[in-house]
Amino acid sequence: MNIWTIMTYELRRQLRSRTWLLNMILLPVVLIFLLGASLSGVVGVEGAETVNQVKVAIVDTAAAAPAKSAALDAFVKSDEVKDYISPFEVQTREEAESGLRTGKYGYAVIVPQGFDSEIQSGGQAELELILGKNHSDNTTAGTVFDNFLSEINYKQAAAMTLGPEALTAAIPAMADQPAVQLGNLNNGGKTYTASQFYAASMLLMFLLYSGLTVTSSLFSEKDNHTLFRIHSMPVKGSQLFIGKMLGVGVITMLQCAAIIIFTNLLFGVYWGNRPWLLILFCLLMIIASMTFSILVCMFSKTSATATNIVNIVTVGMTFLSGGMAPLPDSWVNSVGAFTINHWELQAIIRMMLHSGFGQILPNLLVMSAMCLVLIGGVVFTYRKVGYHE
Amino acid sequence: MTLAVLSDVVKRYDQKLTVDHVNVNIEEGEIFGLLGPNGAGKSTTISMICGLLKYDSGEIRIDGISVKEHPIEVKRRIGLVPQDLALYANMTAAENVRFFGKLYGLRGSLLKERTEEALAFTGLSDRAKEKPSTFSGGMKRRLNIACAIMHRPKLIIMDEPTVGIDPQSRNHILESVKALNRLGSTIIYTSHYMEEVAAICDRVAIMDKGHIIACGTEKELRERVAHEEKIVVKATNITPGLISELGKHPRINRVEVVEDAVELYLPSSQSELQDILFIFSRHEGSIVSLHIEEPDLETLFLSLTGRTLRD
Repeated sequence: MNIWTIMTYELRRQLRSRTWLLNMILLPVVLIFLLGASLSGVVGVEGAETVNQVKVAIVDTAAAAPAKSAALDAFVKSDEVKDYISPFEVQTREEAESGLRTGKYGYAVIVPQGFDSEIQSGGQAELELILGKNHSDNTTAGTVFDNFLSEINYKQAAAMTLGPEALTAAIPAMADQPAVQLGNLNNGGKTYTASQFYAASMLLMFLLYSGLTVTSSLFSEKDNHTLFRIHSMPVKGSQLFIGKMLGVGVITMLQCAAIIIFTNLLFGVYWGNRPWLLILFCLLMIIASMTFSILVCMFSKTSATATNIVNIVTVGMTFLSGGMAPLPDSWVNSVGAFTINHWELQAIIRMMLHSGFGQILPNLLVMSAMCLVLIGGVVFTYRKVGYHE
Repeated sequence: MTLAVLSDVVKRYDQKLTVDHVNVNIEEGEIFGLLGPNGAGKSTTISMICGLLKYDSGEIRIDGISVKEHPIEVKRRIGLVPQDLALYANMTAAENVRFFGKLYGLRGSLLKERTEEALAFTGLSDRAKEKPSTFSGGMKRRLNIACAIMHRPKLIIMDEPTVGIDPQSRNHILESVKALNRLGSTIIYTSHYMEEVAAICDRVAIMDKGHIIACGTEKELRERVAHEEKIVVKATNITPGLISELGKHPRINRVEVVEDAVELYLPSSQSELQDILFIFSRHEGSIVSLHIEEPDLETLFLSLTGRTLRD
């Protein structure tokens, strides 16, 4: 019953604070809007990609027509690739390079002398590929010619090792494959926007700050001397902690719901198709945050020390987990794997992308384990150190 | 019947004895004063009685229950009025009292009734819906008391409840303490104001350096210093020569100058009065008034604990 009393009074005290409404609800929503709008180019993929037909300069270095590559000529004029490339015969390498610089061509291919005869004699097919200015054009044309070379080399290898029969059997299956195919790396086949990314990241950061509310609440009990009075009453220390945690936990869940609803209504942030799992991850984050803060409280002598530690760890973990902006592959990114935010952010992004439960489960297990360790740490420390005025 | 028993209680902080084998019995229905200079061990003793601190050895029993073995049961029987105000500034007076009442297990109509009773008792009924931040120092002190008495505890511990307040509020609090006692509560009262303790306490214990150095009624304690009298002489032209000669008198134990008066401590004033007047006359000191004071609690306190400043 004491836990219930402490929890309800904690709720009442926190909800009366006007600064709480500003800090806990308005600030995250404004921050998500600002970050989502200003950093949309950094995160996610906006809009659908299309494949444009690329103008390809073909330079066959063979002196005369009979010596030119018939295989390549047949390939570039085939229906299979006509949607992706538009071939132009060019006489010299210099002309092709000049065309690439001016933008006349998007890509260039230099065919070495004796290309066909090299293939027929069982040698490896090789072309010199020169990139143009546009990244997408380079990817498209590069994929087309890589496929061409791979196919030839594959046939060569198959014929040499398995004999001509195996080769003829394999050809029909390969013919059905398109030369270029657009796809997504995630299973659900969706992408996330900057607003979604920052909504998730800021939600986690503010959930992590809920621990700071517990810290300040516990230290205000010390500063007001009410902790001294409560300790003189028939109230166990554990009841005080649990009551406080539940009070702040309920407030943080309200904050969490407000952020999710406001970002959805105002900025169209889609939070995925697993609301119960989202709630579970938010709960785990709140538990982790509050237990960590209580640990800090038990080892800190002043409110300022505890607040500074929780602040530094919160901002540090948000940064290391890539919550401020996605980090390039480096040691910083690897360190992020040791943060709570990392596992939470990954899980929420996966939920937004409709990934399967199997892909989210490892995150759930890691978060549960982290929470268990922190709860164990709090119980152990409380028994050893206690929390007194 | 004895309500609180402290038997051979010892508490150490880093090997330093803060409470040194304290033995005290507090009878049911009495107001028990606990006096002592700063660092004497009063607060530590109170914290141990309330179950806030664990004692190293000995035993404390409240209403026959061991504090060490059943702290929660003991805490139900105690109401602590802390020295520092222990209130929530962003909750009204009534909410403060209700909150602490709930933690004492009061619910429903009983909680409502006791809240109103406690606020009325401390003269705060008309300010029940206001926050303590709008209160005067005296009102905050009274609310501090209301939060500790609303569950009608058997033992009320008041740790300097009148610090820093106006005479009216102090008088109200002292009257409240007597009223609570008349209603049946046993009270442990600590204060630095000797006249308060003398006015309301049935018995007084003086603590110093972790020991109880004296314990009894005010009359019993005064008898302990009856061997020394104090003569207060108000005079003009109080010179160092005069003070020096008074100090050299073989029957005068101590000489102190307080503003325009000289205080003389000696075993018996009657036999030495003529000598004293003669010394004043020799140094051309003109006597304005002279009176002999009975030894009081303060005299006893200072004579037992010494006059050296304590931090």
